Amino acid sequence: MVVNLVVGAAVINKLIQQIVPLNKFLISTVFLFSFIGFTQDDYTNSYKKRVLETAEIDLLFSYYNQDGQNAAVSGGEGTEELTDATSSIVVKIPLNPNDILTVDAGISAYSSASTSNVDPFDKNSRRASPFSASSGASQSDALVHFNPSYEHSSEDRNSVYSAQAYVSSEYDYFSIGFGGGYARLFNEKNTEVAASFQVFLDKWIPQYPVELRDGFSDSRITGIGTYNPAFEAFNDETRNSYALSLSFSQILSKRMQGSIFMDVVSQSGLLSTPHQRVYFGDSNDFFIEDFQLADNVEQLPDNRLKIPIGARLNYYLSDLIVLRSYYRYYSDDWGITAHTASLEAPIKLSDKFTLYPNYRYYKQTAADYFYTKETAVSSQDFYTSDYDLSAYNSHQYGMGIRYKDIFTSAKVFTFGLKTIDFRFGKYDRSDGLDSYIFSLGTTFVGD
Amino acid sequence: MKKVVLLLVFTALSSSCVVVKEYDKVYLNDEEMMLSAKGSERFETNFQIYREAAAGANGGKSGGGCGCN
Repeated sequence: MVVNLVVGAAVINKLIQQIVPLNKFLISTVFLFSFIGFTQDDYTNSYKKRVLETAEIDLLFSYYNQDGQNAAVSGGEGTEELTDATSSIVVKIPLNPNDILTVDAGISAYSSASTSNVDPFDKNSRRASPFSASSGASQSDALVHFNPSYEHSSEDRNSVYSAQAYVSSEYDYFSIGFGGGYARLFNEKNTEVAASFQVFLDKWIPQYPVELRDGFSDSRITGIGTYNPAFEAFNDETRNSYALSLSFSQILSKRMQGSIFMDVVSQSGLLSTPHQRVYFGDSNDFFIEDFQLADNVEQLPDNRLKIPIGARLNYYLSDLIVLRSYYRYYSDDWGITAHTASLEAPIKLSDKFTLYPNYRYYKQTAADYFYTKETAVSSQDFYTSDYDLSAYNSHQYGMGIRYKDIFTSAKVFTFGLKTIDFRFGKYDRSDGLDSYIFSLGTTFVGD
Repeated sequence: MKKVVLLLVFTALSSSCVVVKEYDKVYLNDEEMMLSAKGSERFETNFQIYREAAAGANGGKSGGGCGCN
């Protein structure tokens, strides 16, 4: 409990520090969106249904916990224990009958045993080991994000334009992004075609494993010969991502509709994670206590092209059950292909309660550069022991429940409670990683 | 890839065959029938983006903005 309070205080302090430099950006963005909205505020005397009738506030919370034995920070062998608590607020404001401003902001605080082992030699607590957490500074961190977006619908509601911005920051990573989109409905709103783009300009603040940093020395090092890793810091610390998304949606009958999505994502820059160790098969092993010292950090190409193609098909089976299905095929030029399939069957128990049993299956092949511990050799150009890039499959089982009150009889100030959503998911991966997640969401609407 | 293109063409062609009138969309307008990912799924999608190599094609983030895969 005390630890939680200390972490919470640190997180709030960090959030304040993160938010202050963003002030100018936030003010400019809100001003820009407000200006666009009000210049288009052309009310007419005739009634026109608003795109969004009244302001909405979503309050969202999640708790995530995982464990596994293949931590990338310790070269594919070590604890992956991690907990994450995330809170977000999403505010949707109708600026006029045609325009909606949405502001999405949140903070994600996590505590990770594996990233604590960026520096496993804290000397205070336990014997250094990849299977236990250190109490170092990298043990916990917080990610804050701010994501405003603006949407304009045409008078006939057949065209929708959107624009968005994105800023996020955590201890070793900063991201700024923007994007825009256009959707067109035709065929009496039976068909929709949409295109959008997103650009992210990210920057690493690398936190290399402590033993690879300049000036590191420790009298406890054991091994044959002298520890002298072939490590060089990355020159380029930026990561740029450009994504083009296309979608096509179609009503197929009075009870069925589907859509197809396709993204083309190009990434360049530092695509390796700077604190993920690699151990070579052709190098001598060195240890401090039970912790093996890195031979290098992972090296991945500085370009990647990803192409996911997905499809949804929803069927209104009866007034009791709806079927929601999803499939995605993914491939990239690192040699990974993946299949994702999921099915959710909302069951309407009453006007107020709906259950959401769901299942998701995922399978991927390994990246060309993936090697288990001590199987890569030092002469290779690219290598990683990140099991997230290995071959595996996973099963996710979940259940959700929604309470909905269309009369919003429960009030908080002038906002009425419209929905409460609670979800639980259990995730099991074939390499031994398992996790669970709780999420809670509430939606309030203005009078 | 060829199959996907064929599927796209087939779906596009099929659009001219079906026109459901507004007054017949009572089932299609049910909120469980929406074709985008639901807001309540966002946290699950977030952890999947970190833990899995594949991302995107679900209306959300498909690369960038995080130190993930």
